[in-house]
Amino acid sequence: MDVALLFSLVIGLMLIGVPIAVALGMSSVLFLLWFSDSSLASVAQTLFSAFEGHYTLLAIPFFILASSFMTTGGVAQRIIRFSIACVGHLPGGLAIAGVFACMLFAALSGSSPATVVAIGTIVIGGMRQVGYTKDFAAGVICTAGTLGILIPPSIVMVVYAASVEVSVGRMFLAGVIPGLLAGFMLMTTIYVIAKIKNLPKGEWQGWGEIITSGREAGWGLFLIVIILGGIYGGIFTPTEAAAVAAVYAFFIATFVYKDMGPLAERQPRSLSAAAVVETPGSIPLRHRPWAIVTAFFHPDTQHTLFEAGKLTVTLLFVIANALILKHVLTDEQIPQHVANAMLSAGFGPVMFLIVVNIILLIGGQFMEPSGLLVIVAPLVFPIAIELGIDPIHLGIIMVVNMEIGMITPPVGLNLFVTSGVAGMPMMRVVRAALPFLGVLFVFLILVTYVPWISTFLPNTFMGPEIITK
Amino acid sequence: MDQPRLLADRIEETLIAGILGVMTLITFANVVMRYGFNQNILWALELTVFLFGWLVLLGASYAVKKGAHLGVDIIVNILPAQARRVMGLAAVAVCVAFSFLMLKGAWDYWANFANLPGTEGRWFPLGFEETYRDKGWYEVNDIPHPAVLGWMENVFNEGEEYEKLPRLIPYAVLPLSMALMLFRFLQAGWSLWTGETDRVVASHEVEDEIQEIREQMREEN
Repeated sequence: MDVALLFSLVIGLMLIGVPIAVALGMSSVLFLLWFSDSSLASVAQTLFSAFEGHYTLLAIPFFILASSFMTTGGVAQRIIRFSIACVGHLPGGLAIAGVFACMLFAALSGSSPATVVAIGTIVIGGMRQVGYTKDFAAGVICTAGTLGILIPPSIVMVVYAASVEVSVGRMFLAGVIPGLLAGFMLMTTIYVIAKIKNLPKGEWQGWGEIITSGREAGWGLFLIVIILGGIYGGIFTPTEAAAVAAVYAFFIATFVYKDMGPLAERQPRSLSAAAVVETPGSIPLRHRPWAIVTAFFHPDTQHTLFEAGKLTVTLLFVIANALILKHVLTDEQIPQHVANAMLSAGFGPVMFLIVVNIILLIGGQFMEPSGLLVIVAPLVFPIAIELGIDPIHLGIIMVVNMEIGMITPPVGLNLFVTSGVAGMPMMRVVRAALPFLGVLFVFLILVTYVPWISTFLPNTFMGPEIITK
Repeated sequence: MDQPRLLADRIEETLIAGILGVMTLITFANVVMRYGFNQNILWALELTVFLFGWLVLLGASYAVKKGAHLGVDIIVNILPAQARRVMGLAAVAVCVAFSFLMLKGAWDYWANFANLPGTEGRWFPLGFEETYRDKGWYEVNDIPHPAVLGWMENVFNEGEEYEKLPRLIPYAVLPLSMALMLFRFLQAGWSLWTGETDRVVASHEVEDEIQEIREQMREEN
């Protein structure tokens, strides 16, 4: 009964417009003061130990910073150019290229809304120009953008790894095949629709264009090689890999792409659309050798650091408070009670996974994915282990559920963002995304009941998972 | 962005950017040391973790000021203005209560590390403790005590030498940040009361960017 009270308090507070972090923290504080003999001082200690005791979470600010450096500049444009060169000539080419670009971008960024903003602002407009409907364009990008949290690096995966104590490296590796599969399923769907509806195709621009654009985009995409290669090569811990990636992204954005910092040619702000599309010019380093030093203090660098810092603050404040709630749950042994209740009710693994799916789909409507994960993961994890479900597999299922939650009406996060980016009312975006939502549902069923898809790569490269009960 | 920024904004923004930058550089430097010089910076990890805590806790009050904390606004959006105001005020009241309770908790936790008394009382501070245990001599694990802070030995450690940084320094962020947050939530409550704003939350992380795109579209049309 107490648990029901606790959770209704959290949800009630959230619905009247209390920040998620405060709703989580306040409910836990009230619960502790009413029902246990813990003091407020111990809550403050728990809040601080969210940072002191979870080295894994430390990777998050660095991943956010790396992707901020990558997204301030024209990386999205370069990736889109490369994608169009590769698949633009197929029927429905630009839409397929949009999905492909989202997949590549997801490999640089760990967040879905950020992917929609970066790719959507360019591709949705472009698709309309060559004759797609706005609805189709918005639906494609809205759905493909959710891949941001499935394809590594992913902030949500780091949070899962930290909250149930599995390896971040395994989680990242486990996301690779499902990420490719989901992208492939979306592309195939578009291809079929394009064949039926006779959607426009682009022109084959030749291998030269693929190579040129690939080389351009390659600098950015090498980031994922550093992260995955570094972790699996045993060179870095995930946290260090993220920090190295952030420094690398800074150098690429400032000295190679020169989209920001002292070597970027500043153009006068113009209102015409043409000036926005043009890439800014750049100054060779030898003309401004002092840039090597000044780049670190340049206003652009400061601004990017600040934006990344602000995002870190809002995300981590939710997570830190969710950890207080998790502390309450474990103290009261609530996960064990729930587990026993479910086991004695005769739930098998199949039933259990369906329940998890439903909880997450509903929760994903209201909450930021990482916060939701911190609360739900410790609740369902012990049950999953009891039922013999692989922890990594469970993690991927949860991530895919979050993806779907982001585009499920009425309040999916990506729906909001897409409606803003495309300038369309919410209901139109909802309708536009519906066919692709169906595809993701099929994908969810696949991922849920075929564990091989998630566990094959990590088990092959890192040995079988050792489960300690 | 064009109007001159307030001094407080500048300080907070520089602090957020600066802490994140330092965290990144320390972690990166540690990797370079390990592969380039075959050495480890022993205190790198611990310092980064403390900076991480400082970043998020201090940043939390800044996020209150900017209304950037993530929240759910679907109900708020469909309500008429009058009801929205009432709910907004209720929400702020909860936030103020939370930061007040956390401030008490943070003080109680930190005070003993600084040889100061915590407060009596379970919910509300009912005066200071009469007896308590001094924990001023508690040190962190790895970070050495810098010579500049030598005066602290006389104040907090009865003149005895600190080898490592005393714990009271990293933990000081707790009462500091919670007091700031309480202040910011009170301010937010005031601007709700006067009708300047109608909510204390943002629904997602890219709200600023979307706003920018909307403005651009308006300019083009």
